[in-house]
Amino acid sequence: MSYDTHKTWFFQTVGRNIHLWQYVESNATDTLAGIRISLPDEYYGKQLIYPDESITAGLRFEGTAFVEPFVSVDPNELNGSAEPTLTNQTSPDEADHVNLTRMLSLAVVDYLKAMVSDSSGDLEKKEYYMREFWKKVGDDQSNKRRNFNVFPISPFAIK
Amino acid sequence: MTVLEMMERSGMKNTTLTVAFIKDAIHLMQSQVDVHTATWKTDIADGTREYPFPANMIRLKSVSIKDTTDSKYKRIRRLTHSPVVSEDTDPE
Repeated sequence: MSYDTHKTWFFQTVGRNIHLWQYVESNATDTLAGIRISLPDEYYGKQLIYPDESITAGLRFEGTAFVEPFVSVDPNELNGSAEPTLTNQTSPDEADHVNLTRMLSLAVVDYLKAMVSDSSGDLEKKEYYMREFWKKVGDDQSNKRRNFNVFPISPFAIK
Repeated sequence: MTVLEMMERSGMKNTTLTVAFIKDAIHLMQSQVDVHTATWKTDIADGTREYPFPANMIRLKSVSIKDTTDSKYKRIRRLTHSPVVSEDTDPE
């Protein structure tokens, strides 16, 4: 039975795999007159071991992923007052929508312009459009955040 | 925005190439920021330490292990150094 997993389990990334380690502080025990005692000669100490138990659906990954990149309807327009019903398009064509916000869609346009400039050998233009691409991606992210900058005002500040 | 509108705005002519570039752009974005996130779950086997990343995952955000005493997934930490044991041929 796993407990305090946030304290006793660790991971390592190795190529396309993850290695799981369990932290244990153990020694061999024996039961004497109904009382469990540790055997002093068989102390294993603190160590990292391979997972010591099977857990169904025990490992959970969270990450970014390709989730329906192309859909059949505009993902930024409400269907009346309801959220749009998005259907994944596995073989996208010109009529399909890119499943991104308007700002990220504009960023993708900049990326396409950068690729057009790249194929024509205009690297200066490519760099310009890539900067615009990342700027729009940043703008889209800042739409979700609200930061306040507070500066103390000196009592003798000249205004 | 439709694929056609993106082609017209950028001056791209080839639909297949445009779709490929759009996928590249999304991949690039997802490598840096959270546009679409997902979760995946897999079984842990006793004595097995190696598990592959989900095939369609782009950037790892967190790894959690199920605490079976309270049925909650708890985030685990990354090892800051490699363990002394590189392989355990008899983990049981």
